[in-house]
Amino acid sequence: MSLLFTTNDLMSQEQFWVSFSKKLSGEASAEELGSLESLIREHPEWQFAIQNLEDLWKYQADKDPANGEDAYMLHLHRMREMNISLEGIPGEKGSSTNPKKRMARWYWAAAVLVLLTGLFGIRSLFSAVTGGDEVAGQVNEISTRPGSKSKVQLPDGSVVWLNAGSKLVYNKDFGKETREVTLTGEGFFDVTKNKEKPFIISTSSIKIKVLGTAFNVKAYPEDKQTETSLIRGSIEVTIRNRPNDKIILSPSEKLVVENDIAKVESGSIGKIKKTGNIVRTELPGISTLMAINKLKYNPVDSTVAEIQWVNNKLVFRDESFGELAIRMERWYDVQIDITDPRIAEERLNGIFDSETIIQALDALKEFIPFKYEKDGNNIIIHR
Amino acid sequence: MPENEPIKRLLAAIAFANDQVAYKELFILLHGRLKQFAYSILKSQEEAEELVSDLFIKVWEKRDQLTTIESPLLYFYTSARNLAYNRISKQKRQQNPSPEEWLVQLNSIYFDPEQLLVTEEMMRRIRQAVNNLPPRCRIIFKLVKEDGLKYKEVAELLQLSVKTVEAQMAIALRRLGKCMHLEISALNLVNPNTKKS
Repeated sequence: MSLLFTTNDLMSQEQFWVSFSKKLSGEASAEELGSLESLIREHPEWQFAIQNLEDLWKYQADKDPANGEDAYMLHLHRMREMNISLEGIPGEKGSSTNPKKRMARWYWAAAVLVLLTGLFGIRSLFSAVTGGDEVAGQVNEISTRPGSKSKVQLPDGSVVWLNAGSKLVYNKDFGKETREVTLTGEGFFDVTKNKEKPFIISTSSIKIKVLGTAFNVKAYPEDKQTETSLIRGSIEVTIRNRPNDKIILSPSEKLVVENDIAKVESGSIGKIKKTGNIVRTELPGISTLMAINKLKYNPVDSTVAEIQWVNNKLVFRDESFGELAIRMERWYDVQIDITDPRIAEERLNGIFDSETIIQALDALKEFIPFKYEKDGNNIIIHR
Repeated sequence: MPENEPIKRLLAAIAFANDQVAYKELFILLHGRLKQFAYSILKSQEEAEELVSDLFIKVWEKRDQLTTIESPLLYFYTSARNLAYNRISKQKRQQNPSPEEWLVQLNSIYFDPEQLLVTEEMMRRIRQAVNNLPPRCRIIFKLVKEDGLKYKEVAELLQLSVKTVEAQMAIALRRLGKCMHLEISALNLVNPNTKKS
């Protein structure tokens, strides 16, 4: 289990761009690279732009070698007119008999070939990235298995990180008229701005309308709740069957909806009102099905637990072992069975990043007295 | 991007073996860039072409002395600048234009949309941002990104401090980042350091 420490290492906006441009141009020191990398890693919402800047930097305009050849001919011609000869070079007309010279010629030809292969290699790499994710038919479907994660770029430039065991579906004509996707599982969305074409995400219990922003949606069918955490911008959420009642989220707010709400018959919830951080409905019983909480920024490093999975970290803050076990099942692709309800109710705080499932369980054992048996992917936890 | 090491090897082949193939290789490697650089000062394609030719005549004539140069790339750009200034003062009897008045063309923003994961709209904004870079920022960005000069070499060529080059590069990248919705706004971003307990 990890704890967070801070090095009070402040980096100004200007310093960020100085370091980043030094990184691109190969001028940065190892130390500079290190602090830049860890800063970038803490901000998954920057990754799209940073990746693009790096790609743009690497891309070199195609050279026209024929132009250079022509210019060289003119140059030789000019030298002859000025009576400057390339004296001492028998091979001027390409008839070198000196084996060393011929070797040199082969050497340079090989160098050019290597250079060209390099260029084409980059080309095919790019097309491999853009050409992926295509499924025959009218919809594109991207899914992740338990234990794996994926980053997807949509045709409009929006980026979605998909957590383990999740699925994102969108139509082939995405972006033409509308931008609509369906999410099962968990995704972190960084949506490009386009006022004319709002970005709409549907889950089994809610619908989220976005203009351009970054936020996390957690909507696993096996979970009791659907969570929407807004990092920046503004989004509009409607509950399934209640299309006229809109909940507008402000940055740093998290909307938690009990998935049972979708089962409540349409019309019986009554009017939904949001006052400050409190959601009210005309039927008092229903308001317990929703809550808006402030996202808690870690005071030490100002990260938000809800999006740490993007950085390969499984963060849990005041979570019951039962809830954590469900997340660990997806994270590690295992089945966890907690036989004792008292163990399942124990509350835990911590972070896993590089730990294996065994290391994670052994770490948890330090806090909760339990024993476990592991048989393949099945883990049984008991007192 | 031409680096100093391959150029040094070519210069050595030219000096020690009178290797014409290497000479041609070097010409083709640097011709386009040096011509563009010369054009930015002379503002004439014809004169820029002639200048590159003059420069390579000099390279041939002085080939024995060129093997010990620490940074041949800087040597080529400095020579090109000096030849351009000589032309201007001799023929046109004009003041030499300062780098702010150079006409700098950027090539590498005309990328293929298939290769980069950006939208048409974003590319339009990137081009616009690059076109609107202040002149000094633009020439520095070009020399570093497209011509492969190190900060120190750019500083020496344009007679600026390395700190100025750093700052101008930061401006260029920040403007490009803005096109991609990247705005690093917080002034006290904390750099966290995760350690195992």
